[in-house]
Amino acid sequence: MNLRKLTLSLIGFGLALAAFSAESGEKEIFTPVQLRHWSLQKVAKRAVPLVQRKDWVATPVDAFILGKLEARGLTPSKEADRVTLLRRVSLDLTGLPPTPEEVDAFISDQSPKAWEKLIDRLLASPHYGERWGRHWLDVARFAESQGFKADETRPDAWRYRDYVIDSFNADKPYNRFIREQIAGDELWPNVAEARIATAFNRHYPDEYNARNLMQRRQDILNEVTNVVGSAFLGLTVECAQCHNHKFDAISHKDYYSLQAFFANTAADDRIVVAAPQQIQEHERKLALWEGKTREIREDISAILAPARKKIWDDFFDKYPPEVQEAITKPESERTPYEAQLYHQAKLYLEPTKDDVVKSLRGPEKQRYQAFAKKLQEFAVLHPGDLPRGSGMRDISAQAPVTHVLAGGTYLGRQQPVQPAFLSALASELPKIEPSANGSSTGRRTALANWLASPENPLAARVMVNRVWSHHFGQGLVASPNDFGVMGKRPSHPELLDWMTTEFVQNGWSIKTLHKVILMSNTYQQASAHREDAAKEDSTNRLLWRFPRNRLDAEAIRDSAIHVAGVLNSKIGGPSVFPVLPENMLTPRGGWSKSPTAEENYRRSVYIFVRRNTPYPLLKALDFPDTNMSCGRRDQTITSPQALSLLNDRAAIDWAQNFAGRVLGKAGLDSKLQVETAYLLAYSRKPDGWETDTVLTFLEKQSKVIQNRIAKGESIALPTNVPEKAEPARLAALVDFCHSLLNSNEFVYQQ
Amino acid sequence: MSKLTPPHFVRAASRRAFLANAGTGFGALALGSLLAGDGVAAAVKGRNAMAAKQPHYAPKAKSVIWLFMEGGPSHIDLFDPKPELKRLSGQPLPPSFGKVITAMGTSNNTLMPSQRTFKQFGQSGQWVSDWYPHIAQKMDDIAVLRSCQADGLNHVGSVCQMNTGSILAGRPSLGSWVQYGLGAANENLPAFVILTDEKEVLGGPNNWSNGFLPATYQGTLFRNEGPPILDVLPPKTIGNDQQRGKLDLMASLNGHFGRDKQTDLDLESRIQSYELAYRMQSAAPEAVDLAKESEATKNLYGMDEEITEKFGRNCLLARRLVERGVRFIELYCSSGSGWDAHVDMEENHSKNCKISDKPIAGLLADLKARGLLNDTLVIWGGEFGRTPFNEKGKGRDHNPWGFTTWFAGGGVKPGQTVGSTDELGLRAVDRPAHVHDIHATILHLMGLNHIDLTYLHNGRFERPTIVAGTVVNELLA
Repeated sequence: MNLRKLTLSLIGFGLALAAFSAESGEKEIFTPVQLRHWSLQKVAKRAVPLVQRKDWVATPVDAFILGKLEARGLTPSKEADRVTLLRRVSLDLTGLPPTPEEVDAFISDQSPKAWEKLIDRLLASPHYGERWGRHWLDVARFAESQGFKADETRPDAWRYRDYVIDSFNADKPYNRFIREQIAGDELWPNVAEARIATAFNRHYPDEYNARNLMQRRQDILNEVTNVVGSAFLGLTVECAQCHNHKFDAISHKDYYSLQAFFANTAADDRIVVAAPQQIQEHERKLALWEGKTREIREDISAILAPARKKIWDDFFDKYPPEVQEAITKPESERTPYEAQLYHQAKLYLEPTKDDVVKSLRGPEKQRYQAFAKKLQEFAVLHPGDLPRGSGMRDISAQAPVTHVLAGGTYLGRQQPVQPAFLSALASELPKIEPSANGSSTGRRTALANWLASPENPLAARVMVNRVWSHHFGQGLVASPNDFGVMGKRPSHPELLDWMTTEFVQNGWSIKTLHKVILMSNTYQQASAHREDAAKEDSTNRLLWRFPRNRLDAEAIRDSAIHVAGVLNSKIGGPSVFPVLPENMLTPRGGWSKSPTAEENYRRSVYIFVRRNTPYPLLKALDFPDTNMSCGRRDQTITSPQALSLLNDRAAIDWAQNFAGRVLGKAGLDSKLQVETAYLLAYSRKPDGWETDTVLTFLEKQSKVIQNRIAKGESIALPTNVPEKAEPARLAALVDFCHSLLNSNEFVYQQ
Repeated sequence: MSKLTPPHFVRAASRRAFLANAGTGFGALALGSLLAGDGVAAAVKGRNAMAAKQPHYAPKAKSVIWLFMEGGPSHIDLFDPKPELKRLSGQPLPPSFGKVITAMGTSNNTLMPSQRTFKQFGQSGQWVSDWYPHIAQKMDDIAVLRSCQADGLNHVGSVCQMNTGSILAGRPSLGSWVQYGLGAANENLPAFVILTDEKEVLGGPNNWSNGFLPATYQGTLFRNEGPPILDVLPPKTIGNDQQRGKLDLMASLNGHFGRDKQTDLDLESRIQSYELAYRMQSAAPEAVDLAKESEATKNLYGMDEEITEKFGRNCLLARRLVERGVRFIELYCSSGSGWDAHVDMEENHSKNCKISDKPIAGLLADLKARGLLNDTLVIWGGEFGRTPFNEKGKGRDHNPWGFTTWFAGGGVKPGQTVGSTDELGLRAVDRPAHVHDIHATILHLMGLNHIDLTYLHNGRFERPTIVAGTVVNELLA
């Protein structure tokens, strides 16, 4: 049976009815089946089920899991051994394997609270936010460039990344996290962090070079609407861009009513990130500088005026008539829609001084340079620029009218709509009041409060499922960005509701939610295959064992660097640019050279995210496409991955550092080298077979490398070369260490 | 679930069958449980995502060579003569043509006739301008589609659409869909290869992106010098024997680790992926090594002349890749928007036509002589055409409303012209063929039905042509 046809025939009849009644009240156009869809129902209080093996129930989570297992005649797996558990939870919460010292400490901690203490320690580690912040950045399609043609850099986008990491580390309540990202500028206009949070809606790909600003605005609005739908509601609202959603209870009108909350937004790339005193001080110094340089600056302005005008004219001429009209109208006569177009056009019509200077030629340029030199004499008085950040804001309190758009294009204007919540989820109308300072419509505040309300059946559920999904490699709902009809049904709906209720009662605390999950026996099961259970549930949907999963791109890279002993633990700040593969051309938009070698060893979350050209090693390992929200990464196994981890100069460098570290700890004793390397990479000692195999390898590989040396070929040595050591043997050690970093045991969490 | 299992996913009948498949795969050996997107497929682990798959119906073309004239070649100066433009030269676009928004705001500029001379060529008597004398000799092998349409005004969106169907980045490229649908014929090489001759293609890797399909299906940009694929060879500090030794150690350690986990086929797949990587180390450099090509062959492609050397080399590489079973090869000519003749048509197109004419004619001749043209689809075109009105006096602006793409080889009915534009070449009139229609046609020739080639993503069975697309039947043999 064809799945698509099956699905269509199951719900098709009701939908057919729906399609014909688009003109009637919104709710009436949905069929009862659509409205009864599980995820649209209020989160229900669920009783913890009674189970037979009460001894196995460490937390209520276990009762829900065990209940389903017992119903199918299955038993859970035994507890994993302690080293496996330590590795599992360390990789899970921080993206890094434990050090040998951490292994010793955990194994020797006999207290019954050892596991809980371990979880608390890991949740308190700043590496926790780096790991879990990255999961959210996937959802937020975070990138630091515009995409499209030139892929221009967004120089301050990294502040949003730091905001997310800080929020996770601080265990910011998720309802606050939602409200900051949707409407931080309206709700907390004086808190820089809350304004940076609004960059969630600033990460859209953008055709910076567009002339048709009507289309560009609509493309951006659509993108923002779609991502808000996926991220916070777990719904594919984009399907209702051109017509009523074919499956879910989202009408064409709903889509534009949701979009209307964003109708007056625009990028805000000039958010000052400084304390009030700092700003005052800056203003004082700037005024002083301005006073002393007034005449010079006026002269410079005069020199630049013609070039400025030329840029204006060039851009102006290329715009379509609607945009030209919006530009030339006096401000007081512009409609809110025209104000939007003008606001966008202004960025190009009024270029920065630097861009104007770049366009100067010949004598003009020389004249300018003479004055610039004079101005330079006062540079010591200039206080510099205040740190800036990027986000979103409304350009005024008056929003343009939003229309339902036929075919989803700006040309297809149909009836006007007001901002409204999805009609299937809420019957009340949003209460919208312009913000206190009169500069914003207040629309997004209403949306944020609705999304973050405990009454909203989706926001909390969707987040709880995301958290579960990262702990187990698969969500209770296996499609974390789609809780709709075409998404997956929850494997344990009662558990999802129970956890959601707890989550909200615990003040939307994500760290508390982690603990609820991690303290369970479900999480602590061994990952070994069991034929009896597999016969009944081959995909382990019921969690009769802990699933074995390949680590994601960042965890593989960061773990390798950590084991190599060179991880740079610096937190936050502008992004870094680790070395690209040999011979790779610089991508359009640029790839700076990181100032120090240590920058190559920063955690992967700090690597610059160039939208069109993500860092190749991460991309090979399924780093998501930042043109869209990603709720769940693929887990592919490909030979380009092998090529990256095997041949990339970065990977060889990790191996050289790793071998150097092993030598530092074990000296030239081969057996001790093998043991040390195993402890560092796998958190365990090698068995006899492994020791023998590796020793034989070192012997044989040394001879192969000796032949290379004899032929005058170069070799890769450890970073730390002890005296009297034989180079071929050292290079063989590098190869062994490199093999460990490439091995299955290293890249799988189990 | 049949839509997503056969023909697209072959579930290995046994572990042995799986390993037999997996042993020869280029790209992906397994996709965990996510092959069908958002976890739709049951967790059938360890499938070889690149194993050759059954098409929907018998394919006419096994491979595609897409000659992409990046920047927008002028149809009205190459394949679509417009005598009416001469008559109206110097006048504005007649009001009957309505309002036009262009990239550079040039629609009020006066009409500019072509300065080229057009003649009819071959038995089929198809029109070609004197800018393409070599290709003109091949017109009996070519079907010209004069009525193409696209949605974008700017390069990056339009190049993106010609590749992915959408002017917004994020959807899979047609080459990715083809890999998804057909797998690889030679798994030691990437099945979807991109060749450039100048600068980076506008929009870069978005144009050969796997989009929401698994990363397995992304295209591979070949480098023009040295080893063609990044990281395909180890650094100079690692010798081949040494690499082999390292891989053997890894295989032993992985085998030891996996001894009690044999049901987890991902682990075995990962071991195989390293063996494949090792084989690619020799297969990829061999594919681009022209040492064994004769001088006569190289000259056929214009490699003996400086102006045609670079693009000629890529055309010859394309033939070699077709011979080695690569499914989808895109050659960007004057990559980085070289054909974008805003300022001076004569200067820009004289050069670009010279660069591309002999190599393309050589490619068609060579493919035919080797019996490869029958099952290789060759496509020529850009992301859009150019306007009949001038820009800056001697140039032309972007025209996505009507432009030319031509087709030759596998399954195409040659020696004919399909569709037309209006008297001025501004808009497609007869038999308009949108980018989606072009995509549907290409897929059809490769044995894939664009409507049945689906992948569940975010609740929708996505397909290459989004919500549109019909096969241009007139083009089919």
